[in-house]
Amino acid sequence: MEILQYSIRKLFSGIPLILGVTFISFVLMVYFGPDKTYELLGKNPTPEEIAEVRVQLGYDQPFVVRYADYLRELATLDFGNSDSTGERVDALLARTIPVSLALTAPGFVLGNVLGILLALFAAYYRSTWVDKTIMASAVIGMSISFLIVIIGFQIIFASSYGLGWFPVRGWSVNSIGDYFSYVAVPTMATVFVALGYNTRFYRSVLVEEMTRDHVRTAKAFGVPPTKLFYKNILKNSLIPIITRIVFSIPLVIISGSLLIESYFGIPGVGKITYDAIVSGDQPVLKAVVGLTAILFVLAQLLTDIMYRAVDPRITLK
Amino acid sequence: MNAVATAVVRRESLWSKAFYKFSRDRTGMISLVFVLFYMLIALGVTLGWLASDWSDVQGGKWEGMSMTYWFGTNMIGQDIFSRAIYSTKTAFEVGLVVALIATAVGAVIGAISGFFSGSWIDEVLLWLMGVLDSIPFYLFVAAIVFAMQESPYAMHVAMISTFWTGSSRLVRGEVIKLRGLEYVEAAHAIGVPELTIIFRHILPNTTHILLVQATITFVAAIKSEVILSFLGLGVKDGMSWGLMIAESSQEVMAGFFNNFLAASVLMFGLVMAFNMFSDALQDALDPRKVS
Repeated sequence: MEILQYSIRKLFSGIPLILGVTFISFVLMVYFGPDKTYELLGKNPTPEEIAEVRVQLGYDQPFVVRYADYLRELATLDFGNSDSTGERVDALLARTIPVSLALTAPGFVLGNVLGILLALFAAYYRSTWVDKTIMASAVIGMSISFLIVIIGFQIIFASSYGLGWFPVRGWSVNSIGDYFSYVAVPTMATVFVALGYNTRFYRSVLVEEMTRDHVRTAKAFGVPPTKLFYKNILKNSLIPIITRIVFSIPLVIISGSLLIESYFGIPGVGKITYDAIVSGDQPVLKAVVGLTAILFVLAQLLTDIMYRAVDPRITLK
Repeated sequence: MNAVATAVVRRESLWSKAFYKFSRDRTGMISLVFVLFYMLIALGVTLGWLASDWSDVQGGKWEGMSMTYWFGTNMIGQDIFSRAIYSTKTAFEVGLVVALIATAVGAVIGAISGFFSGSWIDEVLLWLMGVLDSIPFYLFVAAIVFAMQESPYAMHVAMISTFWTGSSRLVRGEVIKLRGLEYVEAAHAIGVPELTIIFRHILPNTTHILLVQATITFVAAIKSEVILSFLGLGVKDGMSWGLMIAESSQEVMAGFFNNFLAASVLMFGLVMAFNMFSDALQDALDPRKVS
């Protein structure tokens, strides 16, 4: 009950964030954005035709009314039809979001799990050659651009110049086997890119916790290493770990897959977002931006609730 | 006697200690040499001494490596080596502009937000940072590119307006700590105006954080520039590693890798050297950092 009350309060306090995000993106994308009037008209339109199209697009309305319309669309999750394909935006999202999730989930999970494992390993063997090798590899991994990794992995694993194990691009998934073969190269690329950053971050969190006084005291009292590790170190470092994981979820869904999906031609949210950017498809862009903002508010709520579960000293107030 | 005493008692500051520590850090010094080397290349290109023939069509299609064309030629016969060298300038220009301005903006806003933490000013600034962090980056860039009518600086503006939040949050945290110290209280007590306290007494004490943050922003800007140029949202006139990679994405399917490799290797070298330089700088400047 306490959690429910807290959640409702927290969701309301997320409203300013949603208003800010939607307002800035509305001003930039819709108010300064591309004018679609002449794209919908034939050659030599009459002033009446122009006026009619502008009414149809809502351009004749004042700024406040158009922005209020956007908020209403966001509240009802009804964004109308896509400008370029005419498909309903909610149907478009319902079709593409599962694809994006299926595409990014394995890489996201593996990137974080492997990152934490490597970080544990490095932190445990701190300042030995194991640690130094892992951290040097992390810096190398961080220095290779995502773009280079994607293209490089495609050449190595999917093209006829390399191993040719997986399909070069596309997404025609009919069975679980198809799924694995199409998701393999994108997943490897995401994991490769995320691993360096994740390992470094998690290692620094763990090392900071390991050098605390209470850990030294526990060690002096003869707490066995595994218990020391789980109870005194890992549990205390969970808060920054949770924050990092949960807050990267909204952007992983939208931005993270944009490059991969547009490069591999996978019909996910990233791909339709990229297409909408290129063609100035405002209903789609409005939906994507608005939903990302809502995801951020939900992520904030989720981290707060999880903090509570991890650390009993934190109260939800 | 006196001369000996003054020679021995040297003033030890954060900077002299950091300088000493950095000069003993072998990876740091090597990476600094690399960064300076890249910087010289960028300078040479800016002054027109290097790679001024980057856009000339000279050779045949897809020539291999030779003494005239070190990395071969691209699809229409331009010298890949020149293009890759010229792109170093683009990367440096974007990196420097974005890192300097974003860090400066972050410092000022972070200091104000931290100094007035708990008041409505801080609330508003924190809200602004949260909002900017929640807009999908590529969408934001695309929107700014359009709103600025394809100006070549749209990419810079977009990066600056999103990258300052990181520095700002760090500075804010540090200022909250410094605000409670005695010397700030003393400055209050003798009636120093608040703005003077923030910018003369507190902000200079966060310089070490800002310096490290600027190097991190520099790397982030270069990496984003390459991806944005690849997507067609970044560099329009001029050359960039991102544009070279975009060109090469058709070539690699035909089995010609020179363009891709030249851009990748040069970019990797710069980003790697800068990452290591940034790490060494952080080790030298942050006495609390446990490694």
